[in-house]
Amino acid sequence: MPRPEQKEIQFTIDGREVRAIEGAMLVDAAKHGDVEIPFFCYEPKLGNPVGACRMCLVEIEGIPKLQTSCSTPVKDGMVVHTQTDRVHAAQNAVVEFLLVNHPLDCPVCDKGGECPLQDITFGWGRGRSRFIEPKRHFVKPLSLSPLVAIDRERCILCYRCVRFSQEVAEDYQLIFAERGAHTYVSTFDGHPYVAPFSGNIIELCPVGALTSKPYRFRARPWDIEGAGGICTLCPSQCNVQFTVRDETVMRVLARENDEVDDGWLCDKGRFAYQSIHVDERIAAPLVRDGGELREVSWERALSVAAGLARHRGRVGALVGGQATNEEGFLLQSLMRQGLESPDIDSRGRASVPLELGRALAAPSLQAAVPDLEFAHTVLVLGCEPLDDAPILDLRIRKGVRRRGVNLAIASARPSALDANAKLSLRYPPGTEAAFLAELAAALAGPPSSGDISALAKLLLEGGEDVVILWGERVAADALPTLLRIAERLGLSGRAGAGLLEVPSGANGRGLREAGVLPGVGPGYAPAPAGRSAAQIAAAAADGRLTALYLFQTDPVRELPDRALWEAALHRAALVVAHASVLTEGIREHAAVVFPAESHAEKEGTVVHPDGRLQRLRGAIGHPNQVRAGWSVLAEISARVGHDQGVLTSPMAWEQLVAAVPFYAGLTLQEIGGRGVRWPDRAQAAQMPAGSAPSAPAPPGGSASSAPVAGAPANGGLRLGSYRPIWASPEVEISPALKFTICRQHVELSPQDAARLGIDHGEAVEVSQLDGSSAAYSGEAGSQARGKLEGTRVHGTAAVRSGVPQGTAFLADGIAQDSANELTEAVVEVRKP
Amino acid sequence: MSYNPGEDVIEVVRGPAPGAAAGAYRAFGETLRGLKTTFARIVEGPTTIQYPEEKTPVYPRFRGRHKLHRFEDTGLEKCVGCSLCAAACPADCIRVVAAENTPVNRVSAGERYAAVYEINLSRCIFCGYCEVACPFDAITMGHDYEMSDYTRSDLIFTKEMLLAEPIERTPLRSEGE
Ligand code: SF4
Ligand code: SF4
Ligand code: SF4
Ligand code: SF4
Ligand code: FES
Repeated sequence: MPRPEQKEIQFTIDGREVRAIEGAMLVDAAKHGDVEIPFFCYEPKLGNPVGACRMCLVEIEGIPKLQTSCSTPVKDGMVVHTQTDRVHAAQNAVVEFLLVNHPLDCPVCDKGGECPLQDITFGWGRGRSRFIEPKRHFVKPLSLSPLVAIDRERCILCYRCVRFSQEVAEDYQLIFAERGAHTYVSTFDGHPYVAPFSGNIIELCPVGALTSKPYRFRARPWDIEGAGGICTLCPSQCNVQFTVRDETVMRVLARENDEVDDGWLCDKGRFAYQSIHVDERIAAPLVRDGGELREVSWERALSVAAGLARHRGRVGALVGGQATNEEGFLLQSLMRQGLESPDIDSRGRASVPLELGRALAAPSLQAAVPDLEFAHTVLVLGCEPLDDAPILDLRIRKGVRRRGVNLAIASARPSALDANAKLSLRYPPGTEAAFLAELAAALAGPPSSGDISALAKLLLEGGEDVVILWGERVAADALPTLLRIAERLGLSGRAGAGLLEVPSGANGRGLREAGVLPGVGPGYAPAPAGRSAAQIAAAAADGRLTALYLFQTDPVRELPDRALWEAALHRAALVVAHASVLTEGIREHAAVVFPAESHAEKEGTVVHPDGRLQRLRGAIGHPNQVRAGWSVLAEISARVGHDQGVLTSPMAWEQLVAAVPFYAGLTLQEIGGRGVRWPDRAQAAQMPAGSAPSAPAPPGGSASSAPVAGAPANGGLRLGSYRPIWASPEVEISPALKFTICRQHVELSPQDAARLGIDHGEAVEVSQLDGSSAAYSGEAGSQARGKLEGTRVHGTAAVRSGVPQGTAFLADGIAQDSANELTEAVVEVRKP
Repeated sequence: MSYNPGEDVIEVVRGPAPGAAAGAYRAFGETLRGLKTTFARIVEGPTTIQYPEEKTPVYPRFRGRHKLHRFEDTGLEKCVGCSLCAAACPADCIRVVAAENTPVNRVSAGERYAAVYEINLSRCIFCGYCEVACPFDAITMGHDYEMSDYTRSDLIFTKEMLLAEPIERTPLRSEGE
């Protein structure tokens, strides 16, 4: 969809000739003439203006009554006055009226000092009220949710929070109850407002009616400093502003960047900052001593880690999504050059061969985030934006609601976006290849009936700008077909169209570009072949690899096949880990644990899924004994005899730029606070071209057995997995988010639940059915097999109407009873 | 070439040589005039204040060491921890960290109270802005001006020190004095 064209017009405001964009609201256009118009309810992020507060009244020549400038688009030749007596009288009156019931308890109000109502009352009010009547009173403060406190006396009924809930997040929970002077903000029946984006209303509220509970009374605006940063808790990489007081992060605010987050944050990003300053966080280096991890000096920990040198050639490394490009780059260099071990991976699920990876990352094929909003058609393939990259969920909703984007969803698991989609297609988990092959055939063949043909028709005829948002969960063998479909739709080289991959790690894309993939060096250069994550697990379990390096990842928790990883970590002689939380795999198996930095401390760069390089800057100093990740890597590197000559983080960046041809010439200054999309730069041509193998590639090292197409015959259910938005160790240790901690919810279709006699909310037990798969071979395999037989996952049944019959969905990435304990494609669900 | 001083020539102007009468007046006249004042004051008695045994009384509006106040009836602290004093302070010497009152731990009358309230008196310039800024008259400037100490850190007054009834060491000037 072409973006709306912007035409300049000229209008007069307060006697000044000003140029502005046609159709812009007067309140915005006035800024071009240095005129400030006060407003409360106007917020362009929320969509169309509602004109609820009347604060923005102005006089327009030719219109007898005063007009709300927030909802009046500017026209050529308009003559506007904001300084006449009529306007002043109206502004005074509106302020006086808003304060009729306002308690003015600024000294105890958390908004005090950054309150638009204070500022506007001071700037545009009369300074004196004629009301002597008693004010309206409510009980206060009340909890609107575990995260948000509401003070109804302070609410000025501007509709912002309600509009957010109704039109942006579309959770439809917040409403105005009662009418007239009795109106108040509430949820239906007063249920807590629990939603993944609820924290945004705190920032939207122009008064202190909605305040953050974790930030409650923590600081005043003059006590704090703002530090720009990036949230690296998920691949959305929202731009944030850390509020810092006394070297402590007190809250996280959105730092609006249209190209990335549109000014919103999810509650994970907004509240999980608490994990930076809790006791559960690892504060000092730990070394295993007599079976127990004990705090030791850095010197001791580094010397233990330097023992990696004795495992030269037999080290495997896994890098988690929170690592920066620099850390990834240093680690791959340490592995490949320092330890002569090419076994390094950052893709946990399927490994993608070099050529295919290049083809998928081709700059001409990359869609940008705003394209989701302006495309004709968006196809969400095999991912759940709400869980995998929450902010993209809001972006897609915006596109559908405001720009009429055709949304199609093809996934195994029902999606939160189904209600907005023109078409929602389900396929059995793991059968993306078959599904895409059918879609490719439908795109090529003559029109026929059926869901897939309807999808093909939508993609072909809905308009030429098509964006395919796909997730890392899409099986590797489906990717060549995906490329063929992109080619068929002509997505390559088309501005506003393309593919957008949501990796499972926050900086998944950057790590791949930095060479953290087996057989792929920095800048997608060929590198000596190495093992993928699954192969590392198998090799470590049977002793071919003797040491493991876990950089901010815990495979026991994060990756498929928990039993195999446990066996691998158990057998490995030396496990070096960087972590901020002692998750199970680290606690049980690591020999050395280096305290990892949080995203508020890191210095470095990350790459957004759409290719935008963004910069992390230290908002606070390192607490306790934490040291920078790059410096630890550089130190270990030097100790194993491979001095990388890195003394600062920018030096690592310079080495990275030198190694990655398509970053050439980029400086940290240029990246700045807004980021730079490298696929838009001329140097993107340096990206080596890839090619899709014509025959579907064999599933590269993925441990899962062949997916089952039809409903399993033996009464079992196909196993699908999903990662809930809250499934992260940072969330678990954040006190404010304790209420979100994920337990296993086994999603079942109503038919299966009825057949199995399971009710919603009942406890269930999931066990493996098919024991004959050949995933395990060799001596270590049979060891792991023994464990596997008795595997039982306990959870609560969640009967969900959209779940296709014959499939059960289990959460993975959670601390207990995670789906990654199950390795078979078919499971049995029953009451324990 | 001879040196030409140009315009830099300085002319020294001398006064006329003093005569005998004028010299005598200069030697004694002015001295006697000064002594007249001295002898006139002698009869008034000494006015030196023997500090520290004796102290200068201060005016009622004298701005000395701060005091924090409680409500007399309930005993709750007046300060709600709003930090306005900290915002007003030009020397940036007040630090407030607020916290929330709970039914079991009610410290102030409002929703919040000052969990930490510190004034660094070695930086304070006694301007009194904090007193003016406070919406609850919780902080006022007292009369105490004896605040010397041996270490700087002892001059950071905590909430407890500011709330405690100070030992009144400073006499107040009576009305009209
Ligand atoms: S919302 Fe603003 S004006 Fe109202 S009490 Fe709070 S700070 Fe004061
Ligand atoms: S609670 Fe805040 S955002 Fe919501 S209507 Fe009231 S003033 Fe507006
Ligand atoms: S969507 Fe992702 S990047 Fe954005 S705030 Fe949430 S966790 Fe952070
Ligand atoms: S008297 Fe002035 S300098 Fe001293 S604490 Fe108060 S505001 Fe600050
Ligand atoms: S801002 Fe225009 S009516 Fe509220």
